[in-house]
Amino acid sequence: MKKLSLLVLFLLILSLLGSSVTLSQVLPTLPRSETLIVDALHGRLANPKDFNFWKPGVSVGNGTQQMLLDGLWYLDPQTGKTIYALAESDPVYSKDFTKMTVKLRKGIFWSDGKPFTADDVVFTVEYLKKHQGMNYSAQFAKWVSKVYKTDDYTVVFELTESAPFFHYIFTSIVYSTCYIMPKHIFEKVEDPLKFEFNPPVSLGAYVLKNYDPAGYWWLFERRADWKRTSVGQLYGMPRPKYVLFIYYGPDEKKVMAQTKHELDLIFDLTPEAWEVLRKSNPYSRVWYKDFPWAWMDDVRARVMAFNLEKFPYNIKDVRWALTLATDIVDVVTSGFDGIARTNPLFMAATASLMKEFYLPLEGWLKNFALEDGYMPWDSTVPYRIADYAKKKGYKVRGEPREIFGIGWWKYDPTQAEKLLTKNGFKKDARGKWLLPDGKPWRITITAPAGFEIHATRLAFAVADQWRKFGIDVNVETVEAGPFWSKWHLGDFEVGSYWSVPATDFYSFIQQYHSRFYKPTGEVASAGNQIRLKNKKLDELLDKLVALQPEDPKAKDLVVEIIKLFVEEKPLPIFIINLKFNAQDHYYWTKFPNADDPYQAPVWWWGQFKFILPHIRTTGRK
Amino acid sequence: MNLLKRYILPRLIQYFIVIFIGITIVFLAPRFIPLDPVISVINRITAYGAQYMDPEALEKLTETLKELYGLKGSIFEQYIKFWKRLFRGDFGPSLTIFPTPVISIIKNSLPWTAGLLIIAALLSWSIGNILGGLAGYFSNKKWAKVLSVIAMVIYPIPYYIMALILIILFAYVFPIFPIVGGYSIGINPSFSFIFSLIKHAFLPALALVIVGIGWWFLSMRSLTSTITSEDYVVYAETMGIPKNKVLFQYVMKNSMLPQITNLALQIGGIFSGSLVTEYVFSYPGIGQVLYMAINNGDFNLLMGIVTFSILGIATAALLIDLLYPLFDPRVRYR
Repeated sequence: MKKLSLLVLFLLILSLLGSSVTLSQVLPTLPRSETLIVDALHGRLANPKDFNFWKPGVSVGNGTQQMLLDGLWYLDPQTGKTIYALAESDPVYSKDFTKMTVKLRKGIFWSDGKPFTADDVVFTVEYLKKHQGMNYSAQFAKWVSKVYKTDDYTVVFELTESAPFFHYIFTSIVYSTCYIMPKHIFEKVEDPLKFEFNPPVSLGAYVLKNYDPAGYWWLFERRADWKRTSVGQLYGMPRPKYVLFIYYGPDEKKVMAQTKHELDLIFDLTPEAWEVLRKSNPYSRVWYKDFPWAWMDDVRARVMAFNLEKFPYNIKDVRWALTLATDIVDVVTSGFDGIARTNPLFMAATASLMKEFYLPLEGWLKNFALEDGYMPWDSTVPYRIADYAKKKGYKVRGEPREIFGIGWWKYDPTQAEKLLTKNGFKKDARGKWLLPDGKPWRITITAPAGFEIHATRLAFAVADQWRKFGIDVNVETVEAGPFWSKWHLGDFEVGSYWSVPATDFYSFIQQYHSRFYKPTGEVASAGNQIRLKNKKLDELLDKLVALQPEDPKAKDLVVEIIKLFVEEKPLPIFIINLKFNAQDHYYWTKFPNADDPYQAPVWWWGQFKFILPHIRTTGRK
Repeated sequence: MNLLKRYILPRLIQYFIVIFIGITIVFLAPRFIPLDPVISVINRITAYGAQYMDPEALEKLTETLKELYGLKGSIFEQYIKFWKRLFRGDFGPSLTIFPTPVISIIKNSLPWTAGLLIIAALLSWSIGNILGGLAGYFSNKKWAKVLSVIAMVIYPIPYYIMALILIILFAYVFPIFPIVGGYSIGINPSFSFIFSLIKHAFLPALALVIVGIGWWFLSMRSLTSTITSEDYVVYAETMGIPKNKVLFQYVMKNSMLPQITNLALQIGGIFSGSLVTEYVFSYPGIGQVLYMAINNGDFNLLMGIVTFSILGIATAALLIDLLYPLFDPRVRYR
């Protein structure tokens, strides 16, 4: 009798736990067909209730910037086009670039019914400038002498000195920007560092409906007045009524969730996790429907960064020798199974930037020669990667040059040997390279441990190449905290980092001006962690900073800088970052992808808000 | 009075010395490891390209953050400031999630960890010790041998693997349990909410209990086996005292002493969380927060959590020391 009672009790507990009392797995109270579920970039947040984006410690990639915040301009890296959000047109500068005028979009309202006007923009700048330590405070303090409105929809910025790039502070070029604050809320806040902006008033097409105090999810609901937002005015109604940002945990959990159709969009998976997902959920895809699947238009590229102050990496010939001792096809096929686009130039090889910079430079690359007349360019690389893929049984749809890049540097150990020998390097009896002083040449490559898996893979693949060439190479994998400390302090000789610009070239490149140089051992807070010092680069940067980023003359200077990076080879650049940002087409479809590349598939960027009106429900309940 | 002087007072002094040394080490250790919270913030800003930052503005921001974080001044000045704040129960602001107070982050996460780990520890301790005690005393019985084999198979399974097996089985193949969070989305406090809480905690707790039982079972069985062969047990059995009485009052009672100490230390240690559990089950708790603090060089958050942990373990050890005379008459009469 006792045993029977225990059994009944056990069955009762199990059935209750599995029953409809606790309902379905993720969304017990929401219609799944009206809800888009998105992977939360930052994982679990320890302060999930803080929506004051303008504070330095608040993360916005878990939905806040995509759903609630809005900025003046957004630059889409996929198409290279500008999205005019809160600004209705380009900024207008005075001739000497000391004054910028912006016309704002009319008919935009905050979610609490207050109109968005020039007062909000003026307030944002003045308020952030006044409160040190807040995001953008340093920039506004440096550049803005006065900001005022001339009418409710026109703002004038008077600048402390000529700043033709000033509008970039308000442009989401990569990931985020300076979003506009609601004056009517913040004007009552005395200490913004203590203010959590909760509940947040939204300028986006959604409002915050609920969130997990433990920091795993945030739920947003479409505003009834979505027409009174930039998204509504530009592209119409965002389709999902609800958008849930949720962190499921490690990759295997995300794969399980998408297989069960409980996670529509994933930030990034390892290739192995994608392989499992691809085979278990026929509705999942990434950018390409078939091989190589991954999205390869991200705005950074993988490099082997040399600390240019450390011997022998301060010698140009050594840097070139290590480049020519690397068989990129072998790196891409053995390290990435052929899923990679080569990125030889100091500009991310995105689809739009390849058209804008790579193709026009192709002639120059073919004729480019080292000091001894050797021509290192190899345009056969994409075809050899495609051949590898075909041999593996994959179908390569499309032009290999568009998928795998237009080429890379030749694999030529003989030429590499020549360059090293010229600089006093020798080989011992076992074929191992010795430094000019006769000591064995040992390289330590610093790589991330447990994050940015592709950087780690690249480190091991390149180490194999250099070992084959006769160098003793060790890969040191380091956790995020010390990894970044080493990077900024210059505590590395070769590091597997991702440090190549894309649409943000103009701002990114400024860090390499020698006036920001810090010797190894000091924190390179302004950038230039590789400790590059180059007079010609300084001259080009001085000219560039005097031009508007969109000026055709600026583009010419950018091309000159790219060429200089080829000649000097401060850091060999290997492949563009790739992402397996999987999309599930079970409940929702028409996400951007290679078949319809209307926008970059960046669910974690502020730009994501403009994707939502394009997607469609499949009708499944 | 004599007891206070001879037994309680030395332990109290030892308790405070341990806490002082522990906290001092916690203060110094992060400052000598290659981590810089300001670099961490700057890196977050630049790695995502989150802001248009010209290099001069970045340099200025670095200085401002150092000022705001209280990282200017000598280590000694920071140390004095730290103790002053600690006496007020203030660990300062988190440097990663600046300026959220460390104490509010801990308050947000600790109840989840405490709830899960205390229940799991008590369950596995009780079940493991009872079964281990029985199996040790009746070691020749078939069921005891079977239980021992099961425990020996379970115990060496890495916790991560056990957790994954449970998730795959009960959240994926048979989707009974959820795979993320502490409770379902959109549920308001009610009967359903309580069930949702239990449902979300069930798998993480089950994994902890299964692996925990293995250890408690094996250690208790081994202790019991040793005590069973002691003269006083053999004598009691020879005298014809009922087996149940011998088992519970002679054998188990004596075997329990080291197990009680271990339990107290385990419960004292919950303040550092259970990172793997939280990571695999995506269950809220303090472990992930601690990991984030270590990775980002968030000195204040790190010190806050570890201080709780030191206090927890030291207090547990003190309590056990003070309570031991109640369990063990040999201590009482020493």
